[in-house]
Amino acid sequence: MTGQATYSFKRYRKFVLPLILLIAVTEGAAIVCGATFDKLETGIVKGLSFLQFMFPPDWAAFKDMLEPAFQSITIAALGTIFGTILSVVFAVLAASNISHSWVRNTARFLIGLERSVPEIVILLLLIAAFGLGSMPGIVSLTLGCIGMLGKLLADIIEEIDPVMIESMESLGANKLQIIWFGVMPQIIPNLVSYALFRFEINIRLSVILGAIGAGGIGYELDYSFSMLQYHRAFTAMIVVMVMIFGTERLSYMLRKKFKVEGALQ
Amino acid sequence: MIEVKGLTKTLPNGRKLLNGIDFTVKKGEFVGILGPSGAGKTLTLRCLNGLLKPDEGSVLVEDEHGEKHDICQSSKKQLRHVRERIGVIFQGYHLVKRLSVLENVMIGRLGQISTIRSLVYGFTDKEAEEALLALEKVKMAHLAQNRTGSLSGGEMQRVAIARAIFQSPTLLLADEPISNLDPSNAKVIMKLIRPLSENIPVVGVFHQPEMTAKYCTRVIAIKDGQVVYDGDPKLSNKTLEDIYGEELAQMEQYEHAIPTPEIVRI
Amino acid sequence: MSTVDIIMPSKRYKQKATIFMVSAIVILIACIYLNFNPIMIFTEFHYVRDLLGEMFMPNYQILYENTSTGISILQTLSMAFLGTLYGGLIAFVLAFLAATNTMPYKAVRIITQVFVSMLRVIPALVVVLVFVIAVGPGSFSGVLTLVIVTIGSFAKLFTEIIENVESGPGEAIFSVGASRLQMIRYSIIPQIMPSFIANLLYAFDVNMRAAIGLGIFGGGGIGFQLQMAKSVLHYKDVTALITIIIILVILVEKLSDYLRKRILGEGKLG
Repeated sequence: MTGQATYSFKRYRKFVLPLILLIAVTEGAAIVCGATFDKLETGIVKGLSFLQFMFPPDWAAFKDMLEPAFQSITIAALGTIFGTILSVVFAVLAASNISHSWVRNTARFLIGLERSVPEIVILLLLIAAFGLGSMPGIVSLTLGCIGMLGKLLADIIEEIDPVMIESMESLGANKLQIIWFGVMPQIIPNLVSYALFRFEINIRLSVILGAIGAGGIGYELDYSFSMLQYHRAFTAMIVVMVMIFGTERLSYMLRKKFKVEGALQ
Repeated sequence: MIEVKGLTKTLPNGRKLLNGIDFTVKKGEFVGILGPSGAGKTLTLRCLNGLLKPDEGSVLVEDEHGEKHDICQSSKKQLRHVRERIGVIFQGYHLVKRLSVLENVMIGRLGQISTIRSLVYGFTDKEAEEALLALEKVKMAHLAQNRTGSLSGGEMQRVAIARAIFQSPTLLLADEPISNLDPSNAKVIMKLIRPLSENIPVVGVFHQPEMTAKYCTRVIAIKDGQVVYDGDPKLSNKTLEDIYGEELAQMEQYEHAIPTPEIVRI
Repeated sequence: MSTVDIIMPSKRYKQKATIFMVSAIVILIACIYLNFNPIMIFTEFHYVRDLLGEMFMPNYQILYENTSTGISILQTLSMAFLGTLYGGLIAFVLAFLAATNTMPYKAVRIITQVFVSMLRVIPALVVVLVFVIAVGPGSFSGVLTLVIVTIGSFAKLFTEIIENVESGPGEAIFSVGASRLQMIRYSIIPQIMPSFIANLLYAFDVNMRAAIGLGIFGGGGIGFQLQMAKSVLHYKDVTALITIIIILVILVEKLSDYLRKRILGEGKLG
């Protein structure tokens, strides 16, 4: 007998301290946020009754929503396209098997810095500099896209078989030729899948950015709320839901069609 | 004792997978079921503990009090009661890889202890000691506290046998227990299963006539959903040919090739 | 002539050129439609220069001048923590109700799945605006929003994790006469626990960023501070707050990465 197998209640001892710690942190966080169960109850009850109050949607406003919705989709699409193209450039610069170490470190640093600034903060700064409009929205989505895809793609490029790059070098191919014929075909499947995934995120973000001042359906939604036109807001909400659901299905279908291996989620 | 009568299973397209299987196994017997692939061996075994419901037929199993239960007619609750005492060894070991070896053995008693206790408290010290005894029988006690995922295939199958022993079963079923193992590990497993048949009936599905000839007390051959042979484990070449047909030539080829030992380490 | 049919390079080049031209024209039209001129970023760069001049040097006095900055940092962290904890727990329970191998009743599964997809498509903006109206502006409405968002994005993922669990051990447990609850406790939970916790850490990372954004819409925390500083044109405070945000985000990301690696890479039983 080894004798070390104690299967009495004692074995739960090691969970006691972490549990107490977790409860203490949760309690502390709840105090900081002013969260109580009373407030939770009123939050749920009032939230639901408010949703009920917003019903029914104002269908007359529906046709006013179509153009803002289209604007939002275009902003998200342009942000994704520009972001994807630039992220390939950044990824190549940030891959250790392609570029020099100081180029790589600079590129990685820029990507890392970008990743740690939320898109909304970028948007606020851009609005402060250039004023309201679709341009700050597109630029902040593009930057966000570079931060996310740049890192993912750089990691994929670094996993490319070094023998293949060496063999191309021995053929006398220059850097650009290696990138175009050796690297690009290998990352295209992942590129497509990541870009589609990022497009889904950008659609959601474009709504939020719109509310701050990038225009589009998000602005329409926020404006209806602040003008207390709740039925109109409900219509905008339905349009946004259709947009999100539609892009999700579309990206799912496209990804299935491309049969991408190693796709995100 | 286990009595199987007239097991029949038909696909919706009319193809008969099982076509009236009858046999009885008493305690002291170690029965090996042989047959070509797709003959219905595993299907039959799955009917024996109710993982599969046949269209017709009955499977009578004795519980620990000697009462007979028809598995095919049992309600869900009765079925669970009967299964408490049926040990099953699977081809793919079917152990929870993230739990310790000891916990995997104790899982064998889940049906016998109350659900609430198993969810809230877990197992008791007494059960842990008994499980350790079962592990000693298969010479695995030294690894009791290890994570199951770190074991090799042969070791995992020994843990699975310990789990069945820990159930103190009235019937032991084995579904191709040695098909994933190399020859030396396969022999170890067969040597561990054999003595269990002294007190309870043991039924196993096998792919290796040499192994059943050596360790089983009786062989049942199934072909096209019917029992075509029932008797002495040492089969003549003529009977083997009858059972396996064209597959036999392929099997002889394989006998010369040494199977690669499969090491499952994660 | 070769017997094998291949697409000749000249034809392939024409195809590629056509696709490239068409997409370029579409992008151009989209840019014109939105009045977006990328070159403007460079021609009008003096705006950015002016802004950067306003923003320097960052005014770190806000950190100790009064307690509001410190409290807002704490609030943002607490929002992300509570949102992840409660959202994750609810997503965990819903995942068991929606997975085929844990919930035998199809009706329950479908109802749960529909509910989760509803939460997924409701825009976070609407959720926060509704909660701000229901419980008033402040970090509590941010917590509630994060709970909803976390459920929406993680319940489906957890369902997939549960459904991808090895089915063999479960079958073995059923064959010793165990009930479904016992099977869940002894086969599924041990198998999914590491990836569940790893995903919660990831969710904390994501929620941390979202919490900053929600602040702007009345969710409280450092995002709200940032919005206030910007709207009263205290750009030196804005710079200080942005650097604080960057440090916070990086710290949380590193912490979550480190813990995740430890949990997924753990070899021995504790």
